[in-house]
Amino acid sequence: MPVHILCLILLAIGLAGYFLGRRRALQVAGGNAKLLHSLPAYHGWHVALMATVPALLLLALWLIVQPIYLENRVTGHLPPEMAATPADVSLAMSDIRRLAAGLETAVDAGVLTEEEVRDPAADPAALAATLKPLGVALGTTPTPQVLAAAREYRTTAARLSVARAAAVLAVALIGLIAALRMARVDLWARNRVERAVLGLLILASSVAILTTIGIVWSMLSESLRFFQHYPMADFFFGLTWSPNFKGGSELGFLPLLWGTMYITVIALAVAVPLGLYAAIYLAEYADPRLRAWIKPMIEVIAGIPTVVYGLFALITVGPFLRDYFAQPLGLGNSGSSVLNAGIVIGILNVPFISSLADDIINAVPQSLRDGSLGLGATRSETIRKVVLPAALPGIMGAVLMAASRAIGETMIVVMGAGAAAKLSLNPLEAMTTMTVKIVGQLTGDTDFAAPETLVAFALGMTLFAITLALNVLAVWIVRKYREQYE
Amino acid sequence: MTDLAANAPAGGRASRSLLVPSARMRRRNSAERRFRSYGLIAIVVSLLSLAVMLSTIFRDGASSFWQARLEFPVTLDAAVLDPKGNADPAEMAKQTTVTYGKLLDQSFAAILAAGGIDASGLTDKEIGAMVSKAAPAQIRDRVLADPSLLGQTITVDVLAAGRIDGYLKGRVTRETAARDRNVSPAQLDLADRLVGAGLLAERWNWDFITGPDASDTRPESAGLGVALIGSVYMMLLVLVMCVPVGVAASIYLEEFAPKNGWTDLIEVNIANLAAVPSIVFGILGLAVFINFLQLPQSSSLVGALVISLMTLPTIIIATRSAVRAVPPSVRDAALGIGASKMQAVFHHVLPLAMPGILTGTILGLATALGETAPLLLIGMVAFVTNYPDAPPEGFLDPATALPVQVYNWASRSDPAFIERSNGAIIVLLVFLLAMNVSAILLRRKFERRW
Amino acid sequence: MNMNDMRSVERIVNSHAAKIAAQNVQVHYGASQAIRDVSIDILDRTVTAFIGPSGCGKSTFLRCLNRMNDTIPTCRIEGLIRLDGEDIYDRRVDPVTLRAKVGMVFQKPNPFPKSIYDNVAYGPRIHGLVQGKAELDEVVEQSLRKAALWNEVKDRLSAPGTGLSGGQQQRLCIARAVATGPEVLLMDEPCSALDPIATAQVEELIDELRANFSVVIVTHSMQQAARVSQKTAFFHLGNLVEYGDTAQIFTTPQDSRTESYITGRIG
Repeated sequence: MPVHILCLILLAIGLAGYFLGRRRALQVAGGNAKLLHSLPAYHGWHVALMATVPALLLLALWLIVQPIYLENRVTGHLPPEMAATPADVSLAMSDIRRLAAGLETAVDAGVLTEEEVRDPAADPAALAATLKPLGVALGTTPTPQVLAAAREYRTTAARLSVARAAAVLAVALIGLIAALRMARVDLWARNRVERAVLGLLILASSVAILTTIGIVWSMLSESLRFFQHYPMADFFFGLTWSPNFKGGSELGFLPLLWGTMYITVIALAVAVPLGLYAAIYLAEYADPRLRAWIKPMIEVIAGIPTVVYGLFALITVGPFLRDYFAQPLGLGNSGSSVLNAGIVIGILNVPFISSLADDIINAVPQSLRDGSLGLGATRSETIRKVVLPAALPGIMGAVLMAASRAIGETMIVVMGAGAAAKLSLNPLEAMTTMTVKIVGQLTGDTDFAAPETLVAFALGMTLFAITLALNVLAVWIVRKYREQYE
Repeated sequence: MTDLAANAPAGGRASRSLLVPSARMRRRNSAERRFRSYGLIAIVVSLLSLAVMLSTIFRDGASSFWQARLEFPVTLDAAVLDPKGNADPAEMAKQTTVTYGKLLDQSFAAILAAGGIDASGLTDKEIGAMVSKAAPAQIRDRVLADPSLLGQTITVDVLAAGRIDGYLKGRVTRETAARDRNVSPAQLDLADRLVGAGLLAERWNWDFITGPDASDTRPESAGLGVALIGSVYMMLLVLVMCVPVGVAASIYLEEFAPKNGWTDLIEVNIANLAAVPSIVFGILGLAVFINFLQLPQSSSLVGALVISLMTLPTIIIATRSAVRAVPPSVRDAALGIGASKMQAVFHHVLPLAMPGILTGTILGLATALGETAPLLLIGMVAFVTNYPDAPPEGFLDPATALPVQVYNWASRSDPAFIERSNGAIIVLLVFLLAMNVSAILLRRKFERRW
Repeated sequence: MNMNDMRSVERIVNSHAAKIAAQNVQVHYGASQAIRDVSIDILDRTVTAFIGPSGCGKSTFLRCLNRMNDTIPTCRIEGLIRLDGEDIYDRRVDPVTLRAKVGMVFQKPNPFPKSIYDNVAYGPRIHGLVQGKAELDEVVEQSLRKAALWNEVKDRLSAPGTGLSGGQQQRLCIARAVATGPEVLLMDEPCSALDPIATAQVEELIDELRANFSVVIVTHSMQQAARVSQKTAFFHLGNLVEYGDTAQIFTTPQDSRTESYITGRIG
């Protein structure tokens, strides 16, 4: 039974539970709701929650455990040479899954009967030929072992699906009945419901922690697999990046780091002066009506998706830099360049810096400005000599956050920076970044056993660590700064 | 402090008139003006970049909503299309688009001859190439849907080839055509004559918004339909998954959470997740949802899961500030008449915070709608021409999303796809604008000062 | 000429000349009027105290004297204020030049987050009053001496000004104002954030500053006004009710409102 149907049935049971619970509560109170400790509606909720929550938890657990169980069970059928390493297993498993899904489609479409699928004497090649017109593309003709495993997979999955539905519905009904039997005049239904709701609230707020664990776990485990194939020192200190799926790749991280940092520096060189001066003007000079117009207009820059900036870099800024700077100066003829991506990321980050800097400048106490103006300083002297030095730590924090965003920016560099990993000083040359290579190595045909694919996880881990460190540092600096004026 | 009287005031006492500025004052004032102008320049440069970007997009993209179309009569020869003569759809389906293509070419050539349109110097193949390669399939679908058309002469309205469309839009010129293998200047001359005869014209193109994507050789028939459905599916799922969790988490953290290590851990996690690069969420989605949980690649469900996790911190931050803005007096009033804490929150605080939560949610969804990078990693960049099924099964079908379609088209070589990429951005921006405007209106309507 | 003005003309009994002459000054914040028709002559080398209940407009009027109100967008000022005979609201007058001549010390000590030395050197540096390090050192030392702070800080001039105690901070702000070489010093409740000992120090300092400057001090403490000032002006609801010699105001006030305030019946 498909999961969504199961969920709908659970929902129906919950709804029925609500009404049954309410009726039952009124019944035990002899129709006099005033005798009940809790309102009848809470009795209804009590029953509904008792019926659905444990069943849903079981379903969630089942959905996580079933694939693991299936994999363990099916790999037992594989000959040892096909299950030598974890990579081999994952490769074989994807074949098995594809084949099993193909068989399922064939049966659904009426091309094959259940008997034909189960027939152990069936010829794998003939089967593959039957499946092909259905859009089931099998890389190679499956071996008999794979076919057997796929059959096993299919039947086990079908059996487990029935068992899943039975178990989940049983738990739901048991919950329903138990809750109905609990109904008494002095049942503290409201308190029980509220405790359950509180539990759900805690669960919801823990999603953030689960996400972080998921990020760290997924990247760490795959990175470790990568480092089994490829020495850690060669990755972190290698000067060459030339992946080759046929083997013999050099996966040095430094050219990517260089490209990332070069672009980030250019982006900051654009964003910091523009953002800072814009913030100063808005906070210190602009009259409120102008500010009310300009500030949202600058914020629009941040509201536009990055892929739009990517296209802007690709078809407008890049060719412009190439035609008017790179070619006349003899510095190359590439539309993609570090400068291109840097400038566009810089523009994207202007509102980020300006709104942070605006907040920070506004947090500088007015008394300092008055003190300076009262001594006969001009506004700009006051800003440069009093306000900005006072706001400096906060602004540093904002710059670090902007740097972290520039390092993690993906679409603009994918479309505007280029794909060649280079260690060059020429800003008009195409270079590449960590994020470009993560996208490059993980899209298209990927083989999760090859170091060329797994390296993306190591890059992701490094990216995560760098941006996290920058942000933690920035948040710490900004907090220190705010405490100073509280 | 007896040294005071002995000292003259610092800086001398030569009192100057206020009305005559000193040279130094003039210098300081011009420094002031310079500094002030830097601020203005920064704002102007930033807004100008935005204006240049948006105007380039509209200049290059607006034309994708119009497409060159050819309108001419075609005789659907029953002997060719239904050789068995029994109008059985299964039999007729055996006639491939090649057959229809030939029929179309013949009809087109006949129209040229009948209309006295000079097509000399062009081979039949070149004349046929004026019509889009998507046209035969279009006619075939129409005939298969309605076999009674067999033998009739119907007026068809088909797409012109991409290069002809480009010529009418000014993208293709005779100079570029001379260097282009796909089109010749003679074909452009023919296009001029067809326009003159009223057979060829640019017309409003709904198919750009509703049609599926097309292969590299047929930019003229590429549309946004699949991407739009994918984006709508994802936004629905994000709304259903992310908002309840986000609101629940915010309520817990603002109203119930005790001050302890676990709460601090949650707080730190939310703050840090908001700053994690989006691509990292893509890696998470690939490793956890696709490789570990075996959910189907390219599906809108996986896309929505990834985007939900990404949007969650934004929603939580917005919801918390909305909940915090409800004054404590409201809670005290409810608790004072014997409501439980939970009742006070759900009956009083939450309804009052609702407009703020809604505004934050819409803005969070707007950001989510434009997110691209993580979707690339979970396979949503694939070439998908089949519309996903209706939900809920459709959530598992391969789909793309609007911003991914922008990227996808931008990375193809034919410049006609750049036009479509810009056009897709216009559609995307219209959605974002609508969402932002509704958030602003909502805020205006419910704005409340405590 | 209104009544206030005529009276104040009669009362100029001091030997010093008028430094600042205000005539019929009106101040509006948006729609509400904060100052009504105030005319007053402030004398050179004299301490003038502005007293009155909170919200009476005394601080607002003080801030008009060096155009600090210009920084508040909704504030509108009418009437005539002259410094040494020149209209300070004349279009040709740069408020920056004016403020160099009419310095200000604020209610809350507001040292810049810089070193003590840089705090005091700020004014001389921006106005270009000194040439060379030695001269600047001299001005800083003299100003700190005048503010009675030199002995306490001479060994830690590079320490941040924000690290001083409240009273020291306020004296640092006075030193900072003195270093600019102003002709008038405006003080807006300079002791309200200070403890009694620091207050006594600052009051002593104000008395000594009279030798070189015209000092205007806003205070809500009548005792303080009586202790430090020679002339006192009583403000009430935006009006200048009474202006005269301090001794006379506190012993034989002419106006019943002044009497009520001094005896503690309004305030």
